[in-house]
Amino acid sequence: MTSAIAIRIVEMLPAVPAVPMADVVEATSHWWAGFILWCPLISLALCGLCAAFRVKSKLPAWITVLSLACSFVLTIILGNLEDVPERIQLFEWISVDWVGGSFVANFALYIDSLTILWMSFVTGLGTLIALYASEYMETDVGKGYARFFSGVSAFLFAMGCLVMGDNLLMLYLGWEGVGFASYWLIGYYYRRPAAVAAAKKAFIVNRIGDLGLALAIYLIWSTFGTVQYNELITHLDAGTFAASYEHWSVEAIPYLLMLAAFGKSAQLPLYVWLPDAMEGPTPVSALIHAATMVTAGIYLIARMYPFFLLEPTSLHVVAWVGGLTALLAATIGMAQYDIKRIFAYSTVSQLGYMFLGLGVLTTYGASYHVFTHAFFKAVLFLAAGAVMHGFAGQLDLRKLSGLRRMKGWRIVAWTMFIGCVCLAGFPFTSGYFSKDAILAEAFVTQGPGFEALGWIAIFTAFLTAYYTFRVWCRVCAGPVHFEPGDELHDDGHHDEEHEFHPHAPRFAINFVLVVIALGALLASVPYFMTNEVSEIKGGWIADMVNDSTAAAGIPGHEEHPGTIAHDAGHAHHGSILGMDPHVAMYWISGVVGGIGLFLAFWLHLWRRQDADRLRSWLLARAWIRWLPVAMENKWYVDEVYHALVRAPLWLLGHIAYGFDRYIVDGLLVDGTARLPRLIARWFQPLQNGLLQSYAVTMAGGAALITLLMVLMMQFFEGGSVQ
Amino acid sequence: MTLQLATTFSQLSLSHYLVLSGLLFVIGLVGFLTRRNLIVMFLCTELMFQAAAIAFVASGRYWFNFTGQVFVIFILTVAAAEAALALALVVLLYRRRSTLNADDWMELCE
Amino acid sequence: MMSWLLILLPLAGVLAIIVSPARMAKMLALLTSLVVFGVSIAAAVGFDGWGKGTWGLEGAFNWLSRYGIEIQVGADSVSLILVLLTTLLLPLAVLGSFTSVRDRLREYYGWLLGLEAAMIGVFLARDLIFFYVCFEFTLVPMFFLIAIYGSTNRARASMKFLIYTFTGSLITLAAFLWLAWSASQAADGQWTFSIAALTHHATTSLAGSEQAWLLLALLIGFGVKVPIFPVHTWLPLAHTEAPTAGSVILAGVLLKLGTYGLYRFMLPMCPEAVVAWAPVIAILAIIGILYAALICWVQTDVKKLVAYSSVSHLGFCILGLFALNPMGLEGAILYMVNHGLSTGALFFLIGMMYERFHTRDMREVGGLAGRMPVWAFFMVFFVLASVGLPGLNGFVSEFLCLIATFSAGDMGAYPGVLGPWYAAIAALGMIFAAMYLLIMVGKMVFGPERLPAGSHDDGTLPRDLGAREITVLVPLAVLCIVLGVQPWLVIDGTSAAVADTLAVYQPIFEQLTQQTGASVTNALVGGTP
Repeated sequence: MTSAIAIRIVEMLPAVPAVPMADVVEATSHWWAGFILWCPLISLALCGLCAAFRVKSKLPAWITVLSLACSFVLTIILGNLEDVPERIQLFEWISVDWVGGSFVANFALYIDSLTILWMSFVTGLGTLIALYASEYMETDVGKGYARFFSGVSAFLFAMGCLVMGDNLLMLYLGWEGVGFASYWLIGYYYRRPAAVAAAKKAFIVNRIGDLGLALAIYLIWSTFGTVQYNELITHLDAGTFAASYEHWSVEAIPYLLMLAAFGKSAQLPLYVWLPDAMEGPTPVSALIHAATMVTAGIYLIARMYPFFLLEPTSLHVVAWVGGLTALLAATIGMAQYDIKRIFAYSTVSQLGYMFLGLGVLTTYGASYHVFTHAFFKAVLFLAAGAVMHGFAGQLDLRKLSGLRRMKGWRIVAWTMFIGCVCLAGFPFTSGYFSKDAILAEAFVTQGPGFEALGWIAIFTAFLTAYYTFRVWCRVCAGPVHFEPGDELHDDGHHDEEHEFHPHAPRFAINFVLVVIALGALLASVPYFMTNEVSEIKGGWIADMVNDSTAAAGIPGHEEHPGTIAHDAGHAHHGSILGMDPHVAMYWISGVVGGIGLFLAFWLHLWRRQDADRLRSWLLARAWIRWLPVAMENKWYVDEVYHALVRAPLWLLGHIAYGFDRYIVDGLLVDGTARLPRLIARWFQPLQNGLLQSYAVTMAGGAALITLLMVLMMQFFEGGSVQ
Repeated sequence: MTLQLATTFSQLSLSHYLVLSGLLFVIGLVGFLTRRNLIVMFLCTELMFQAAAIAFVASGRYWFNFTGQVFVIFILTVAAAEAALALALVVLLYRRRSTLNADDWMELCE
Repeated sequence: MMSWLLILLPLAGVLAIIVSPARMAKMLALLTSLVVFGVSIAAAVGFDGWGKGTWGLEGAFNWLSRYGIEIQVGADSVSLILVLLTTLLLPLAVLGSFTSVRDRLREYYGWLLGLEAAMIGVFLARDLIFFYVCFEFTLVPMFFLIAIYGSTNRARASMKFLIYTFTGSLITLAAFLWLAWSASQAADGQWTFSIAALTHHATTSLAGSEQAWLLLALLIGFGVKVPIFPVHTWLPLAHTEAPTAGSVILAGVLLKLGTYGLYRFMLPMCPEAVVAWAPVIAILAIIGILYAALICWVQTDVKKLVAYSSVSHLGFCILGLFALNPMGLEGAILYMVNHGLSTGALFFLIGMMYERFHTRDMREVGGLAGRMPVWAFFMVFFVLASVGLPGLNGFVSEFLCLIATFSAGDMGAYPGVLGPWYAAIAALGMIFAAMYLLIMVGKMVFGPERLPAGSHDDGTLPRDLGAREITVLVPLAVLCIVLGVQPWLVIDGTSAAVADTLAVYQPIFEQLTQQTGASVTNALVGGTP
């Protein structure tokens, strides 16, 4: 990057001469990459046909699994062929030309390593979760089965457009597309009012973010005259617009993009839709609301990172919002009883970590955490889904216990354990490394209160370990005990009179759980792999991030990609307790995680009555009572929204409608129309309906006119009437 | 020619005709205003028509301008057509309420 | 020749319907409208003005040559696209009325075809008098369609519709006559009503204040038709009371007469006044967008909701028009087509629901996804098109209108007078649109099933949509996708015409910038390839 950008960020880091990005290649020979998108689209069409013809088999699932697997394979092939960013034009979409300018947004793909990184786990997990869903949704075969899988296909298509698009408009297409797919799938159980409301809420809250994205696109286009990544990056790279970097738009762009990212990735203040989104079927929660779609915000900021570097304050905001969201969501997650909700808040919290990572200049850490989180959170959700599936929708962790001792549930219990270990950041798991990459950087990077932010994040890590194992200890460990939920399938096997038998997951669910749990464990491997070029840790993930726009413009990334402040070359090297942050963090987070883990085992496995005792103790003390109450009521954020946004708008709507009916229409329009009638009222007595009175009036009028004429003639002509 | 014709009608000046026309018109008008029977009222309007026609024809004769006579023929035609229409309407109205009193139809007064 | 055919064929259809028995009326109407559609397709295929801005399909017929009144017809790419929209919607409207209209069939289909002739006439007119005659004549069939076939409050609605829009366009007529008089004064008493000649006269020899009066008069007439904010109240009433086909045509084509009028007359005739008044009109449009959206939010009558949403949506179209740059105009033209497709389809769907349950109240009927899955699918689809989901048609036009408004100050050769704030505030309408339309979907389509007490499915109709109803919706859905993915079909076709329309603005902007001393070309956009 040019010095123009470097000058802007000199407050944060010393400027380091940058190497321009590799030129983008038009790769027409890679036209087949389009099939990464077309496969889900074809699957969508076929599933739609299945729905139209009411296919009563698992055909839609197999179509979807097969097409997503094709996408995955193609992604991997493409990833191995690709070494420089390339552009693949598919067809012309929106282009307006005029004399002296044009607006071009084609349906084209922009493939760089960041794209490949994202697409690999999106399509890979998509395939596996579709396979899982083929069993999970089987009670709906012939009913909503095809609808479900067409939704999944639509989601994968939209997510592909979002990640692989070559311009911001394609990104927007995917952005709204995944929002719609999420709406479709959250509202899958469309007869449940809660599901419909949650779907609506998700779409509308996301739309607020979309507004930010739309405005950002307008602003970027009107400032730079293009929405294509490669042109934008080239312009920024070459400093074409260096003179305009003081323009207000350059400062506004990152904040607008941030709004979009916060909406999609459920950050303060727009996170409220994500916990409600758990009304959707669990595979959807795993795929869309944990692993893939919600990371779109991270992707957006990573992709548009150069714009953020032009306005460093925006990164401070990102960091703080991320850190605070992580803390807030973790505190709420601690106090919930619904397993899926806990994991949902945990997702919000982990996404907060990722934003924190972006804010403290480690796009590598953020992306790595996205990658690991996708696996372990997917495992957790899928395991929770298996429980829900088997226990007729039961998700209350107080009503389930001892799963690991039940026949057929061991795989679920132990894969869930793997997920928990990773999420809690237990030493040497994938979550441990990816989280540390972010936490340490918070102490390294200079920024307003970043050190405090680091401690907040460490405290959150403690809470995370606690609430994660709270779930596992309650549900999987302890004595065997369960109550079924209220979603008894009416297939005759377990009527309410009969005793309830949980049905254990079969092959598809178990297989997918094991594969993804292995993935979650293996996700730590890249950390140990040495980068071929720069010989620093982070392996191919760091490589992939650093070869993309996500690292463009971070000073020093050329020397030591990803962990930019890794060595002594760094001027403001931070420290924790006098130690190197990266070394110290291994110890600190290990210890903190251990404490949380111990606390969870104590309160929720060994002496469960202590937990209740603690709760009642807290509730009995007036000075601390508000804390558990507020946490259990999610800090009343929904209520605040209702009071501050929904109710006033609703009122405003009624006022506007009243205004329209009575003032605009009633007073102005009808009033004007009534005016002639009012005037006519004076003359109305003449219209009495009696023929003769009309005749008298007429005769009188005629006489009057004649008289008048005679008089006038006399007046004008001196009385010479013939 | 003017002289010849003038001697033939010397006893009857234009004013005679106009007075006759005026009388006819007033009779028609008074009849129209005082009677309630639709047919009589209609006949009265015819009377007024004819009064106007006499005035036209006399004036046309007086000034030797045949427009007046043309107009009378026009009036007669219109009156005939009108009579047919009006009587048809009267018959229709009678069928509705079996009365010919004009005051029974007051719906137009709002 | 094609033009005459397009105008006269529907009238021939009317004649045929009058002389044949009532049971044949619907088939005759369908046949006629399909033939007209075919002719319009043939005309479009043979038209050589795509992407060129030239006029085609021209014809002239002397009417009152002493006063320069002759019936001139012709089409450029913009009017031809709107003619295509009209001829497409008509057969669908006829097909959609087969079960909803049960008596006075001949009148009904006669009026529909008469309406088609008038609408095509408006789009093809090259002569002010003929334009005005057709413009006003559209009111008559619509009046009868509402007054005879509407629902309970139809008398009031039809009256209000007629008087309101008629009053507005009288003022426009006065402006037209004044313009023609002023042109005849300039041409030594030689009268002409040719649109091209009068446009030329207006741009070249009218003073700024005269243009402003002209703008005001045109705005009143066409603004009522669009409708723009304070003069919109006839629309919800007329839409709610009109029969299904009436609502479809009202939303699909009749409202476009207003925007087409603005495009065809106001923009080229009074450029100086437009530059001066664009902010005011844009503010009215923005108020309309947000205000109507808020009103939509609290509606319980689903038809009224969609009607108010038209007010909100067309605000974007107005913004696009007054952004005064090619993107905005392209967006506005696309918006006219897209709004016709998606809102027309929504009215069809509501009509189909109404036929079955005899209520439009969202509190009484809802949760129909289980009972009517096909209907639910189309409902969700067209709501998404209307909300502006990318990939469907609504997005492209909305996006172009908004980005054009946003960058109106920054666009090289076309520095408009609007700017980022206009677009930023108008874009809130995107959120509101999602709110009210999804609330509608949430109530009507999803949730627990609610059926009106006492009334149930009309036994004469299948539970879900039948083949005929699906046939009505499929062409619209296909077009929504096609125009969403390949919008160049419209954009490239009309680009030259749009450039011609905007050509008169360039001297004004140059003058403006000389006065203010600002640079016309933004440094940032200068480098655009």
